[in-house]
This record gives sequence, C-alpha cells and structure tokens, in this order.
Amino acid sequence: MSILPQLIINSIIAGATYTLITLGFNLAYGTTKFLNAVHGSLAAVAGYIVFFLGRSFGLSIVPSAALGIFGASVLGVVIWRLVFRPLRHRGASPAVLFLSSLGVFTMIQAVLAILFTSQFQQLGNVGSPRYEFFGAVITKPQVIIILAGIFIFATLFILLNKTMFGKAVKAIADDEEVARIIGIQTDSVTTLVFAISSGIAGLAGILIGIDIGIQPTMGLWVFLEGAISAIVGGIGNIYGGVLGSFLLGFAENFGIWKISGAWKPAIAFGILIVFLTLRPKGIVRN
Amino acid sequence: MDYIIHLLIFISIYAILAMSLNLLVGYTGLLSVTHAAFYGVGAYTTALLMKFAGFNFFIALAIGVVIALIASFLIGLVISKLSGDYYALGSLGFNIIVFTIFLNWQTLTRGPLGIPGIPRPELFGFTFSGNIAYLALSFAFAVLVYLACRFIIGSSFGRALKAIREDEEALKCFGYHTSVYKLVIFAIAAGFASVAGALYASYITFVDPTTFYLPESVLLLSMIILGGLSNLQGSVIGAAVLILLPEALRFVGFPDTIAAQLRLFVYGLLIVLLMLYRPQGIRGEYKL
Repeated sequence: MSILPQLIINSIIAGATYTLITLGFNLAYGTTKFLNAVHGSLAAVAGYIVFFLGRSFGLSIVPSAALGIFGASVLGVVIWRLVFRPLRHRGASPAVLFLSSLGVFTMIQAVLAILFTSQFQQLGNVGSPRYEFFGAVITKPQVIIILAGIFIFATLFILLNKTMFGKAVKAIADDEEVARIIGIQTDSVTTLVFAISSGIAGLAGILIGIDIGIQPTMGLWVFLEGAISAIVGGIGNIYGGVLGSFLLGFAENFGIWKISGAWKPAIAFGILIVFLTLRPKGIVRN
Repeated sequence: MDYIIHLLIFISIYAILAMSLNLLVGYTGLLSVTHAAFYGVGAYTTALLMKFAGFNFFIALAIGVVIALIASFLIGLVISKLSGDYYALGSLGFNIIVFTIFLNWQTLTRGPLGIPGIPRPELFGFTFSGNIAYLALSFAFAVLVYLACRFIIGSSFGRALKAIREDEEALKCFGYHTSVYKLVIFAIAAGFASVAGALYASYITFVDPTTFYLPESVLLLSMIILGGLSNLQGSVIGAAVLILLPEALRFVGFPDTIAAQLRLFVYGLLIVLLMLYRPQGIRGEYKL
C-alpha cells in the first residue's frame, strides 16, 4: 500500500490548520503591522477554557467551544487595549511591539502551566469516527478543521470585500493616518479586528486540541506556524497566507516522510529562512 | 556562605551573557532572541569535549567559542540582512533549531536526558573544585568580557554600531556595509555567550536542552532591559537583580514546578511593564 495518499491528506489537514491560524494573524497584521506572539497564546487559552469547562462542569463540546472562542476574543481585546494600543500611541517600533507580545506570551504560558500543569491534555472524546479515503485515513475532527478553514476563509472574504467594515480595514492597512483623517473610526475598527482575529485564533486552538491535544507550550507553535505561513505567503495578504499555509503543510509532511517528525520545527524555519533570503516579500507581493 | 558564593558565580555567568547581549540589542539596536542558543553551544561543546574526549576546560572553552563563531556566522549571513521584528523572528527561529538539535541528536547529546558528570576545570595541576576558586575563575572571565566590551564600544567599530542603531539607512549612504557590521557584532556576542556556557556546564556539571531554550533568551532580554540598554553596568545590575529575585520566591515556599513558572511569569511581566512605563530601564542610555 502506498503511503502517498496519507501524506497528501495529512498535508491538507496541516495546511487547513495553518490557514485558520494565518487568517486571523494576517487580519490583525494588516491593520497593526507587527508580529504578535499573543495570537498563539490565545489559541492555547481557548483550548484550556474548553478543557476546563468539560472537566469541571461536564459541558459538551459545542457550547464550551463557543465560550472558548468568546474568551479568546475578549482576552485578545483586553491585551490590545492594555498593552499594544498604548505602545502604538507612543509610536513604538514593531520590534518593541513584538518584544512586548513575547512578554505577554510568556506570562500566559506560565499561568496556564500553573493552573493546568504542563501535561499534555486531550480535548473531546478520543475514539472519534474515522473515514477511509483512497487508502488514507481521516478523522472527524480533521474533516471539521478543513470545513472550518473553508468557512472562515469565505466569511472573511465576504467581510473584507462586501462590507463597509472591510473597506475601513483595507483603508487602515493602506495608511492609518489618512484613514483617520477621512473620518474612519480607526480605533474601534482595530479593536473589532482584534476581537475577530483573536476569536479565530481561539477556534484554531480548540480544533487543534480536539485533533492533537493541548499543552501550555502549544502557543509558541501556533504563533510560529502562523507567522511563517503569513511571511511565506506575503505578510498582511490573506490570500497569500492560505498559499503559505499549504506550502508549509506539504513541506513539513513530505519532509518528515524520510526523517523523524521531531525535526519538523527545523523544516518550518528552513523554509522561513529560504524565503527571507530569496523572496522576503513572500509568494504574493503586496 | 556557600549559598552566597553560589549566587555570585551565577551572577558572574549571567553578567557575561547580559553584557554580550547588550552589545547587540542595546548598542546596535538588534533585537536578538537567540542568545540562549549560543550559551547552549558553549555549554554542550565543553560538556562533550571534557567528559568524552578528556579535553582540558580551557581548550574545550576555546573550541566552544570557535563553534559558536561558525554557527553565528552562518545564521548571521541570513538575519543580518533583516531588521526590526523580522530580525527578532529570524533569530528566535535559530534558537528553536538549536534546541531541536540538542533534543533530537540523541547519539551526540543524549537528548532530554542531558549530560551529567562534567568535570571541573584544571589549570597547571590545580583543580577549580571549590566554589571560591570557581567564583574567582568566573569573576575573572566576567571582568575580561567587560573589558572587551568596553574596548569594542569605545572603538570606531563601536561607534559605527551605534550609528546603525540610530539610522541604518544614513550609514549605508556613507558607504558602510552595515550588514557586515551586524554580522560581526552578532558573532562576537555569540562567542561571549559561549564562554558563559562553558562556565555554566563545568560549574553545574550537568547540561540539558531546556536550559538553552526560548525562556532563557527571554530572561536575558528582561535582564538587559531592566538594567538599561546601551549600558554595561546596567547589564550587570539587571543580571544580579534577576538572579536574586527568584531566590526570594524560593523562600516564600512555593513548590518547585510552580516557582519555576512564577519566575517565567515575572520575567514576562517585567518586559511588558518596562516597555510600557520605563523602556530605558534602570540606567539605560537607549530605549528600543
């Protein structure tokens, strides 16, 4: 039996997961222009909210996932208001914002480890249904990841192209100063952008938690896979982000075909380095 | 008394790390999130050469520095072309790759088990086995690194670094190859970090991958920002404060695993608060 169909399926699942992460990441990057490590933390937070609600109150997955997404969204906005917005008002450089996000990231990871220990935890029921597909296996959570990726992509596409909100986001992405001058409420639009992007990060975290599991350190991987996909695709461009996500998904899964999966991080950064040297603006140039 | 000497040894080692990182972040304005990787390269090289090849500490240390220089040169070729948050992300990636190597090249590094039983240094038949002798050794290295950093900062090369920090584009217009300067200072900082790693490995006599991962790089950044960027004394102060602070947590009596996480929490919080309210730290002459 050939291993190829399974590799392709796994690559598509990884690509869809990274797409979910990158969509939210790019949305926020477009308006705020800095690499935000907290994006990954919010995925972990949402995962742990679901874990906590399920363990302590026996809440089923759908309502607890809704609360997890809401929690991530609220926390994202709070951090934006308390940390990033004041810094940006003072004209802080992207490096300072990135460093501060790394500080918040470290705090959240520590809190999660104190509250829930550093152990690996599984979300939802383990023995989920599996489907056969040209000799490859795919589980129900993985099908949901792919569907969620398509759904979020379509929703964002409509939101950005067919609504006033979308126009405002694009205007801020082009030039925040001018956008403010022509009367766009840049502050409330950016806050809303953070709420949406954090919510998407939360959704991604929960789905990863059901598919693979959660750990306090997962935030780092979510952030890095999101940032690498975004940079490879062309940062700030949501369509490029999707391309970057699938490129990363395929490269990682075909890369670990011959070598151990433990080297996945090295493959991801290898790709980042290749792009930073040869094509720093990514696949889709802005 | 022994406990105080132990803390002073740690402060010396971290002062070396903080001063060398300050060359990059404070003087050149490059946010490097990979210093722990070179610290680890020095520690692992010394550990392996001393334990399995019977090398003398000082030769192992020198070889560690050479390996750190080579590694930093290779990665520096890529990231020296970047700036700002991209530089930070690129360097962070290198920290993760090095950690992955420590963790997964099991035939060489024994992976997560780490390497125990690293011998203490020996010089002309004298073994630095006592803690006072070790303090003298690590303090001497810290002073040497301090003097070397002073020399670098005072030289024309150091002035060019500060100019890169203030306005890289302008300096390029004057015909300076700024990426060469950024590469050289990156390698120098890596070499010093590797010295600290050698001192750490031979003092603790044990190394494992987690010591040289991202949280350590974040800790080093909090140290130099707290002490103040672009100020060497500030780095020493920052290192001392952040080595002593967690000891207070220990006396409060938290269990070890929680104390470790609380420490990380404090480092993160410190970075956020400093960035928001006092980006120049205690004695900084520059803020990011």
